[in-house]
Amino acid sequence: MKIRIALSCAIIWLVSAPFLMGQPAAQFAKANQEYAAGDFKAAIADYEELVRSGQDTPNLFYNLGNAYFRQNNFGRAILNYERALALDPYHPEAQANVRIARDEARALELVPTRADRLFEFADENQFAVTATVAFWIGLFSIAVFIFGRRRSRTAIALSILSLSIFVVAVLAVYQLSHGKNGQGLAIVTGENVEARLATADNANRVLTLPAGSEIKIVSQRGDWIYVGLPNNLRGWMPANSAEQVRM
Amino acid sequence: MNARSDAMSIMIGDQRFEVRGKMSTYAKTFRIGFALLVLILAPSIAFAATPTVTAVLSDSQPAVGQIVQLEIKVNGANSANVPETISIDGLEIHQTGTSRQFEMHNFDVSSSVTYNYTILPLKAGHFKIPPQSVRIGNESLRTPELVLDVAQGSGSSGGSAGSAQTGQNPVASKLAFAELVVAKKDAYVGEMIPAEIRLGFDPRAHSRLQEGPELSGQGFTTQKLQQPRENLETIGGRSYQVYTFKTAIAPARLGKFEIGPVTAKAVVVLPRRPSTSPRTHPRSPFDLFNLDDPFSDPFFSDPFGSIGERTELPIRSEPAVLNVKPLPSNAPPNFSGAIGNFTMAVDAKPKTVQVGDPITVTSTISGRGNFDRMNGPGLEDEGGWHKYPPSSKFTQDDDVGISGEKTFEMVIAPNEKKTAVPPLVFSYFDPVKENYVTLRSDAVPIHVEGGAAPAPAVAAAPTTSATPIGTVGVTPAPTAKPQDILYQMSDLGRVRSFTPVYQRPVFWMAQLAPLILLLGFVGWKIRQAKIDNRDAQRAAALQQESTELLRKLRRSELSPQEYFSNASRVVRVKTALAKKINPNAVDAETAAKAFDLGESERAQLRTLFERSDELRFSGSGNGTRSVSHDEREEVLRLLESLRA
Repeated sequence: MKIRIALSCAIIWLVSAPFLMGQPAAQFAKANQEYAAGDFKAAIADYEELVRSGQDTPNLFYNLGNAYFRQNNFGRAILNYERALALDPYHPEAQANVRIARDEARALELVPTRADRLFEFADENQFAVTATVAFWIGLFSIAVFIFGRRRSRTAIALSILSLSIFVVAVLAVYQLSHGKNGQGLAIVTGENVEARLATADNANRVLTLPAGSEIKIVSQRGDWIYVGLPNNLRGWMPANSAEQVRM
Repeated sequence: MNARSDAMSIMIGDQRFEVRGKMSTYAKTFRIGFALLVLILAPSIAFAATPTVTAVLSDSQPAVGQIVQLEIKVNGANSANVPETISIDGLEIHQTGTSRQFEMHNFDVSSSVTYNYTILPLKAGHFKIPPQSVRIGNESLRTPELVLDVAQGSGSSGGSAGSAQTGQNPVASKLAFAELVVAKKDAYVGEMIPAEIRLGFDPRAHSRLQEGPELSGQGFTTQKLQQPRENLETIGGRSYQVYTFKTAIAPARLGKFEIGPVTAKAVVVLPRRPSTSPRTHPRSPFDLFNLDDPFSDPFFSDPFGSIGERTELPIRSEPAVLNVKPLPSNAPPNFSGAIGNFTMAVDAKPKTVQVGDPITVTSTISGRGNFDRMNGPGLEDEGGWHKYPPSSKFTQDDDVGISGEKTFEMVIAPNEKKTAVPPLVFSYFDPVKENYVTLRSDAVPIHVEGGAAPAPAVAAAPTTSATPIGTVGVTPAPTAKPQDILYQMSDLGRVRSFTPVYQRPVFWMAQLAPLILLLGFVGWKIRQAKIDNRDAQRAAALQQESTELLRKLRRSELSPQEYFSNASRVVRVKTALAKKINPNAVDAETAAKAFDLGESERAQLRTLFERSDELRFSGSGNGTRSVSHDEREEVLRLLESLRA
């Protein structure tokens, strides 16, 4: 009996899998057609539905950003381009369009620190993988050095080199995860949002942020977020006026 | 009848010290001491300024019976001779007190003395208070002529100059009053007008403010009321504890409308007396003009002789009338609602930048006006600049935010080579001059590196067709036609995760593989080391055994059985060491093979093993017979020749 049920499930899965896998692609194509026909609102709805279903692909966010751009919603356009770049930092089309959208929106960008600039040649995942590989090479080298029949100079040199690379890579991972494009990166989606000194609408203003401006979320208190601003100051903003890039 | 009170106040920095009351001997002594103290502490007191005299009326249009305050203020002197009384038909004028004020700002001390008079209009009419002679030392000054229009009727303040005093029941009006003082009667919409709310209480009533003050009305906004200033004033011949709340009013709609009234609620202590009994007690000395004074009661002469009762006392002022005019229609294009009188200072940093680099332009607007509705100045010419919204910070100089300075920080970035930050332009409406004023700063010279220089010919010749200015590697100017975005992607692509790789469980699971590999390697190496160690120990034991046996064979007089047994054992041990095998498994052939011996030595070895076995198993070696010397030497040579 159990075998029968298992077999039935396997057959159903085999039959339905191509259909299920093809559904997002079909919806993506439909949204692209709506975009090409100038129906940006419908295209946005379809792209957003794909996002909600977990189809986090760079191209989906890129196309969604384009649709928002066409609707002159530069805040959301930049947000989605940034999401595409968070998934694929070398997405050339997203890099180009985000620049155009920023110019259009007069959006402010966070100032990269020296450390951000130092490690910008690779992304967080690449540094993480490098750190892992270096760590294991270092450990194996130490093991060979300790348990080898002879004290190998090559082993000790390799272990020192590998562990140095490991330390630098871990620092890079930490810096990139806490830096300008780190996990706190958010994009202002409201128009000319005011960053204030305190969590009150009448508190003194720190900076007015055009839509699409970059901010770094430091903490959240109720409906307010405490953010790092492009002018290197910090201020409070309504939480609903910005969205985090990494979902 | 003519009771006088004297007061003296000293202001050092923002602190004001005031002493008021009837001048007793003690007070005079105190005053002299205080004056001496001031003289000691502040030797640089500058009375050198030329004395001036001013005279003001608290209300120039009172009704008959309504008391008006006259202040003659002498600046730059600490005493003067003023007339005790001023005689005018229809007005009863009495001097009621003197107040002195010393102000010290950064060791610059100034003094003034104010002589207070109360005027009780006895009849309606147009009265002129002639200039009064004020003698200061050898100098004689005169006050300006003052005009008093007394209207018929009582209790109504009429159209007093922005001041609205209480019109409540007679007793309450004597115990407390509320007054709304608005600085102007005519204003422009959006203009910030200073206002004061004054609440006065008879100090003998031990009043405590319970609610308010609240300023009601529509069509205007008010600043938050500040903490009140408290002082003792003599009004209408009576002393009042006056709380002055400062605020500012900004009319939001056009036309004539009322501001106020001011309402408040206080708790006062009143003497309890039978309402039916006629008044037999003597009148209070505070009852200057024979008015009904609730404190003309023995209770206040002897508080323990009678009982007081707490009463809630509502206080209400008359509303003030404000006529709000619209701003003229010829507003400059960059006018953003600032009304007042301002100055502007501008700076830009850094002065040397690359094309596209940000420059922070700081503009400071100082003066008096509606800072809360003010937008920052704008660039006169925004061409070739990328401009970001400014941030602002306001520092107020007064309690209500009318006076101060507002600093705007605007970030601009040159899109092309520039030689200066263009002038900043700020327009405001001056309600005094009743016209618009435009402030224009000077251009701030800067040096922009990189990019192409602007084409001045294009700017200078408007008739020339506007060719776009070439820029090299810079963001397009805001006025340029925006670039279009790139195409849509047709391929959905592979699903990826925003979660960094090191936060995914699969990453940490994957680390198990190298970990297991490493542990396996280490375990194998440790096991190998242990094995090596055991072999080494065994070899060492065999080596030791071999050495020991050889020593015995050389020196001891052993029996033939022992001798050949030990000799064969040495061969076995040496073979075991050479071949890493068990010594007990070694026979003559194995040993000969292990050491690659020749035929003769092989034969010797076989003989050695045969003799050893023979002697051990036959027991023939148990006799006294010993091994000959030659035989022993031959065996020893054989044993020493066994080398791997």
